[in-house]
Amino acid sequence: MSGRGENPVAPAIRVTDLTVAYGDKTVLWDIDLEIPKGSMVAVVGPNGAGKTTLIKSIQGLLPRVAGVISIHGKSYEKQRKEVSYVPQRGSVDWDFPTSVVDTVKMGSYGDLGWIRRPGRKEHEKALGALEKVDMLEFAQRQISQLSGGQQQRVFLARALVQSASVYLLDEPFQGVDATTEKAIVTILKELVGGGKTVLAVHHDLNTVSEYYERIAILNVGLVASGRVEDVFNSENLMKAYGGKTSFFPERKAAKRAV
Amino acid sequence: MLEFAVELFSDYTARTILLGAASLGVVSGVVGSYAVLRKQSLVGDVMSHAALPGIVLAFMIVGVKEQLPIFIGAALSAVLAVFVINLVTRNSRVKTDSAMGIALSVFFGLGLVLLTYVQRMPDANQAGLDKFLFGQAEALVEKDVLIIGLTGFFALLVVGLFWKEFKLLCFDPDFGGTMGFSMKSLDILVTAVIVSAIVIGLQTVGVVLMSSMLIAPAVAARQWTGTMGSMVILAAIIAAVSGVTGVALSAGFENVPTGPAVIVCVSVIAFFSVLFSPNGFFTLKLKDARSRREIKKDYVLKALHDLALEHDDPGYAHSERLLALGSEKGFSVKKSLWALRTAGYVESVGEDNWRLTQSGIREVKKLSPLEKDL
Amino acid sequence: MSPHQFDIQLVAIIVAASCSIPGAFLVLRRMSMMTDAISHSILLGIILAFFLVKDLSSPILIIGAAASGVLAISLIEAVNRSRLVKKDASIGIVFPFLFSVAVILLSKYARNVHIDTHSVLLGEIAFAPFDRFILSGMDMGPKSAYVMGSILLLNLFFISFFYKELKVSTFDESFASSIGFRPRLIHYLLMAVVSFTCVGAFDAVGSILVIALIVIPPCCAYLLTDSLSRMIFLSVVFGISAAISGFWVANWLDVNIAGSMAFVCGVFFLVVFLLAPERGLFGIMREKRRQRMDFAEASLLVSLYNQEKGEAVKNHPDSRGMFQSTDFASKVVGFLKGKGEIAVTGGGLFLTEKGRERARMTLEGR
Ligand SMILES: Nc1ncnc2c1ncn2[C@@H]1O[C@H](COP(=O)(O)OP(=O)(O)O)[C@@H](O)[C@H]1O
Ligand SMILES: [Mg+2]
Repeated sequence: MSGRGENPVAPAIRVTDLTVAYGDKTVLWDIDLEIPKGSMVAVVGPNGAGKTTLIKSIQGLLPRVAGVISIHGKSYEKQRKEVSYVPQRGSVDWDFPTSVVDTVKMGSYGDLGWIRRPGRKEHEKALGALEKVDMLEFAQRQISQLSGGQQQRVFLARALVQSASVYLLDEPFQGVDATTEKAIVTILKELVGGGKTVLAVHHDLNTVSEYYERIAILNVGLVASGRVEDVFNSENLMKAYGGKTSFFPERKAAKRAV
Repeated sequence: MLEFAVELFSDYTARTILLGAASLGVVSGVVGSYAVLRKQSLVGDVMSHAALPGIVLAFMIVGVKEQLPIFIGAALSAVLAVFVINLVTRNSRVKTDSAMGIALSVFFGLGLVLLTYVQRMPDANQAGLDKFLFGQAEALVEKDVLIIGLTGFFALLVVGLFWKEFKLLCFDPDFGGTMGFSMKSLDILVTAVIVSAIVIGLQTVGVVLMSSMLIAPAVAARQWTGTMGSMVILAAIIAAVSGVTGVALSAGFENVPTGPAVIVCVSVIAFFSVLFSPNGFFTLKLKDARSRREIKKDYVLKALHDLALEHDDPGYAHSERLLALGSEKGFSVKKSLWALRTAGYVESVGEDNWRLTQSGIREVKKLSPLEKDL
Repeated sequence: MSPHQFDIQLVAIIVAASCSIPGAFLVLRRMSMMTDAISHSILLGIILAFFLVKDLSSPILIIGAAASGVLAISLIEAVNRSRLVKKDASIGIVFPFLFSVAVILLSKYARNVHIDTHSVLLGEIAFAPFDRFILSGMDMGPKSAYVMGSILLLNLFFISFFYKELKVSTFDESFASSIGFRPRLIHYLLMAVVSFTCVGAFDAVGSILVIALIVIPPCCAYLLTDSLSRMIFLSVVFGISAAISGFWVANWLDVNIAGSMAFVCGVFFLVVFLLAPERGLFGIMREKRRQRMDFAEASLLVSLYNQEKGEAVKNHPDSRGMFQSTDFASKVVGFLKGKGEIAVTGGGLFLTEKGRERARMTLEGR
């Protein structure tokens, strides 16, 4: 179960003192976060809370003011292959002339390194991943001819091809149909069951308890993090959303009890 | 130099030319502001290149080098190019930038084909057509300036009449649409105004560089002001001054073509404005650096506090090395510590050990952005 | 075909092929207008390098030119990154400035040299065959074919070595950096390659029509295929065909060759834009019409079906009134009658069994 560079005691992701600023604007302030191995974690917070920034900073894609990131106890640079990233769906040009299976194959580019081209093995792997997300029949389609949910499945398949141990997903359920959402959750839970770690930016507070074991509530600073039943409460949500959300778990639970 | 200037302004022909350049400047400054604010700067580039086949066709049809037909031909083919861009982007997956590239190069290519065709025609008086490439202000005569003035006047009149509508169109067309203004007709009107500015600049600046005459003054003006009115006026002034200076330079030095001379003037003003205006590049960089220093200072303060809390004593001292641990390269903890000491938030104990003062402890409590929000 | 004509076409083909290759990526990266910036800015590099070495045939000129192309791009990006000027305006103030400086230097200090403002703008491919490559007394063909040929080779190497890097960083930049590819590096490599290509093409077709050869063939291909490798291949085919036919058109009308090549590119694009099997304008319109007709047919059937069941639509008691025009209504009725889904008796419309079935299916959302 333990992958290439895993340190059995270190957490999957450890973020220490992370501070990130764009120009004169602090976007993340002194974040300390530990994600245990084999857990499924939601990152929630209002728009502009810095969720995307957090996900990108974990991968060293943004300059930091301060902070240290480690993946399985080692620096990200050494562990790049352990981490797989699913960007927000809107961040790419879906008119790009590429087929579904070619897009999924991109997941193997990191392993191939510079210049080497994907071959038979990578093709098989891509088909396998497509089968897992139930998209095999669309393998030769151009990606613009897919629905939102199908596009997200392609992204997920591409991440599966990377055979990483840590998955970072940015709003995987945005603009996705209910069936796909369920399918993606099932796959993510399977990954977690196999000892992988999943960190996903999540928007729908109603499904947090159903999908995730752990949660990190974010708004520039880290409001709370821990097990969902411990920290997912109205007090913390108030702190993060500042009363801008009408969702409070207790109230809902109370209603159900009546 | 002064003598030269005096000579220039007292000479009748020179005055005519300078007047032409100045009016062209005013019009393109005003109109260009709309092109820039609507993020259509490059459309101006396409339109001015696309005017070429219209110019030559008009010449072929009329047979003599006559201003008005040439203006009309230029305007029509420029507008046709915009139509092509819209048609292509709306009906295919070809994106705007490529559609512009297509329109620009195909129209210009056609223009060249026609131009070379005309030049082979017997007895054609085509000598004047070449100058539309780079402009030749020396050739301006009183009648040309009159037409430039009149066309410009109408363009400015339209801008004046539809001032608030154009403002809506630039700022928030969707909102403007809900207010009952037809954004489509306004769009056409703005395009028409831009085209007329381009057309009157063709003789002075030339098709190749005319777009810059629209863009650069507006970009320069935008750096100094935030309101539409003052931006438009400032752009007009900048463009007029550059126009006159450029024409004078080109007349004063041998072998300096007018169009490039004007564009160099206006571009220098634009770059200067981007770099040195009160909200310009350097001020922005300074401000960024300052706030980055602030963020780092806050960060060090917080780190000192957090470390101290582990000892249940907010005043516990720590070494600089410990603080530097886990910060990015190039982040000098020492500098932040010195700045904090000056502010009286930390004090050094022994060599290289630092601790929070009472006011530092108070300051740290104010820091968390979460608490600030609440 | 005279040897002279052969040489011109040879150069034209090589130029067109080398332009189309990086062009495909520029189009996909929405950077077509950057070509404009590069192709104008390189003139300054050429002239400054010329002042330095005083030799028009020195390779330093090519390097200087390519460097100034990359410099122009960096300048545009710096201006844009400062958040003070929008992207399009950044392009629009940088390259006309560099170009103007170059033109002034050229007309003031380099009058006697064999680069004049005219050929800079328009290119003179017709002169390409006069400059021969002589190797130990033997005529090896036009020199520009060799220069441009090397650039073509460079482009081919670049594209085949970095194909997957180019592909992934064009499609999904943040993913590319997350797997350790360096999209910024790739970006600047591509810009350097485009600059070299523009420098080479510059002599032949001039600074404005380079855009035609870089942008239009890939756009034609973009409307015809969904595979990147096929798109690149097709762009090369389009580029070469446009070069050859452009040459013959120019030859026939006795006009500027570069202009004619650009114009033929435009004609190619027009044809593809209108007639491309799936993405052509006619195809799209046919598809739209078909959908509209489908929808109209289904609506009419459903409305008749509801009337049968006594749930008459109050506003349009005779169902036909639901369409904007009577012409369109009778067209819809005609189609449905043809398909045997409705019957018309005494002016009234009735569903057949087949029509009833389709209405039911529509209602169930199938
Ligand atoms: N490239 C950037 N430059 C400047 N500010 C940015 C940039 N990217 C994001 N921001 C700002 O940073 C904040 C956090 O952004 P983000 O991490 O995308 O938030 P979230 O994903 O939680 O909605 C936002 O206020 C956004 O405006
Ligand atoms: Mg986000």
